[in-house]
Amino acid sequence: MIALDRVAKSYATPAGRRVVLAEATVDFPAGHNFGILGANGAGKSTLIRLLAGSELPDRGAIRRRARVSFPLGFGGTFHGALSGRENVAFIARIYGAAVRPTIRFVEEFAELGEYFRMPFETYSSGMRARLAFAACLAIDFDVYLVDEVTEIGDEHFRRKCALAFRERLRRSDIILATHNSHTIRQYCDRGAILAGGRLQVFDDLAEAFSHYRRMLGTAA
Amino acid sequence: MPDAINDFDTLRICAWVFSNCGCPAEAAQAYRAMLDRRPDWSEGYRHLSGMLATAGRIDDAVAAALRAVEIAPHDGEYACHAGLLLLEAGRGRAALLCLDHAVRLQPGSARALGALAAAFAMLGRGAEAAAAARRSIAAQPQGVQEAADAAEILMRCGRPAEAADLLRKLAQTESGAAPRLWRLLSAAEMLLGEYDAALAAIGHALAAAPNEAEYHLHRGHLFWRLGDTEGAAAAFGRSAALLPDSAEPRRVQMGLYLAAGLVREATAVGGELLHRFPDDRVSAEAVLHLLDRRLETIDGDYVVLGEAAARMPRPPLPPPAFGDRLRAQCRVIGALVVRETRTRFADARLGYGWALLEPILHISLLSATFAVLMHGKPPIGTHFFLFYYTGLIPYHVFVHSSSGMSHAITGNAPLLQLPPVTSFDVIAARGLLEVMTDVVVAAILLAGFGAIGVAQMPDDLWTSAMALLATAALGCGLGYVNAVVTVFFRSWEKAFNHLNRVFYFISGIFYVPGIMPEWVRNALAWNPLLHSVDWFRAGFFASYRPHWLDRPYLVGVAVLALLCGFAVERLLRRRLSLPL
Repeated sequence: MIALDRVAKSYATPAGRRVVLAEATVDFPAGHNFGILGANGAGKSTLIRLLAGSELPDRGAIRRRARVSFPLGFGGTFHGALSGRENVAFIARIYGAAVRPTIRFVEEFAELGEYFRMPFETYSSGMRARLAFAACLAIDFDVYLVDEVTEIGDEHFRRKCALAFRERLRRSDIILATHNSHTIRQYCDRGAILAGGRLQVFDDLAEAFSHYRRMLGTAA
Repeated sequence: MPDAINDFDTLRICAWVFSNCGCPAEAAQAYRAMLDRRPDWSEGYRHLSGMLATAGRIDDAVAAALRAVEIAPHDGEYACHAGLLLLEAGRGRAALLCLDHAVRLQPGSARALGALAAAFAMLGRGAEAAAAARRSIAAQPQGVQEAADAAEILMRCGRPAEAADLLRKLAQTESGAAPRLWRLLSAAEMLLGEYDAALAAIGHALAAAPNEAEYHLHRGHLFWRLGDTEGAAAAFGRSAALLPDSAEPRRVQMGLYLAAGLVREATAVGGELLHRFPDDRVSAEAVLHLLDRRLETIDGDYVVLGEAAARMPRPPLPPPAFGDRLRAQCRVIGALVVRETRTRFADARLGYGWALLEPILHISLLSATFAVLMHGKPPIGTHFFLFYYTGLIPYHVFVHSSSGMSHAITGNAPLLQLPPVTSFDVIAARGLLEVMTDVVVAAILLAGFGAIGVAQMPDDLWTSAMALLATAALGCGLGYVNAVVTVFFRSWEKAFNHLNRVFYFISGIFYVPGIMPEWVRNALAWNPLLHSVDWFRAGFFASYRPHWLDRPYLVGVAVLALLCGFAVERLLRRRLSLPL
């Protein structure tokens, strides 16, 4: 359960102030997977980061009655001088997860071989992404936040990721921001629309889609 | 059937012959002809009903059976038969009336009781059905068939535990028990969640009847529940091979692959389904469902998802208590300290050697210079090393913490994206590490001096420790301010370093304020670091009693600095975590 209470967020751009949320009061109840629809630039990523707690709102409060992940695959917290192993241990400690099992999971899952014990800065971009994805999956979050899914690794690894993710979704919720309606249809049972500083949540995905289509229609 | 035969007995023989030759329709006709002659012959109606039922004419059979009951209302067998036919015809309410009547006439008949239980079950009256089933078992403890029927009813009425008990007993007593018994037991165990026992039971059933497609299907479902996709697929495949005309096993197999995310296999089975059963609507819908779910996934691969409905929402976390939050914060700061220890000197070849080398060089240089200038006698104590040590250590604790913390936020910006990590934590971790490092360095140096015979333990360790603590608090307080200011003015650290250089000269590190003129000393006494150094020294040298030392002043300034630092951090926290 993540509850937004009169949350306001805006940021300055060269073209003036851009409002992502204006006094939004919205609940994301547990047990549902939400797909967040919105045009490019509507602030989907900012919303995900607000939900994650990576960014704080200008006003209002976000209450999390669940363990919320950092955005899936986000590897920005990894330190170049630390090995993959040390970086994962750090994440595990931060989230209060058992360090050893987490490391074991990531070591097996990311398939980095001996690189797992080498400094992160020596990794290729694919290896970095694999480590980041595995680290997020290794911790048992109640809610996984996904911002615009990207492709990771070869087909074998992608398949493995999707299976592992699906396994997680048996127990955890997902909040997914993407403009790919296929992805949302596949993972989500509820929808939300972010547009013009307003965040609308729909109990039914189909309703969200039809509303969104109408919005696009009037905009065009 | 020739109409010419009018003789009752002849008709009776004909009926007997027909019924025994598998011609129930003709037998029924014979009975009808007999009943034309003797309309009140209840036994005749009973026979007629039986023949009609065998011929598949249930409604007529029911009518005849009811007629028999009407004529002979006190015959339990007739009532029971009529009730069973009504059950078969799906007329639960009428069957119940009839069977209730039958049971009243034959209270010890397991057959009637079993049928009554079935009637209750059909009407959804579970408790009464179970009671009747139990009575049926009690009426004929040896009857395997009846017991199995009763167990099935118990299971249907949501009493799988009782059914399983009963079936287990039956399975034990009947060596080589009927496969149906094992099949029922397997179902009961499955309802109880005992999948392994259920699997064992269906194994027994299949050992007795290896070609029963339904058993294989059931076994496949069990494997599925146990998460054994391969075993389940094999069992479904076996079932499909035994039942080539039924789409169901293949359909279930496809569902299994779909649920397991094996989209390629699921598609293959789906193709086979469409090919072999092009007109089966249910199969077509199932395949369509598969194709719908086979949309592009999160990473561009074709993978399928299980149904979202199968998941229970997790209970919400309770709002964390103060103790939990404190523990979580300590955990985070601890993790940050561990991380900082690994990265602090990551780009220096000597690593932590630097932390030790710097004060050694510094003290040696000061000692060499002033040994010459001051003719070999330090202001206090007997050795220059210890004198400069007592000046430099508090200064280092202050400088290292306050300036080391400056880049805590700017250097750890990505970490602030992790929700559990706040700017408070990263600053605190950096400060803690700096202070701990300096304390360890101080201890090692002191031990080293002791080893070469130029120092002893401080006269009052407690006083020195308190002095360092107050100094660390001062340094950390300023460090918090520095860390926040650095976010907005990146060059702040340079300015602060100049300030530190001034402190180096006005804090009594390489001299004692006692040698200063009073007005100078009074001015210098505003500098809290001067008090740090003198406090620390007072602990080392019992004879050193500076009258200008004002400990509450240092503590007051340190507390003020800490409060200021925390306040600044808290007030600006929202802006500090902005991506840099």
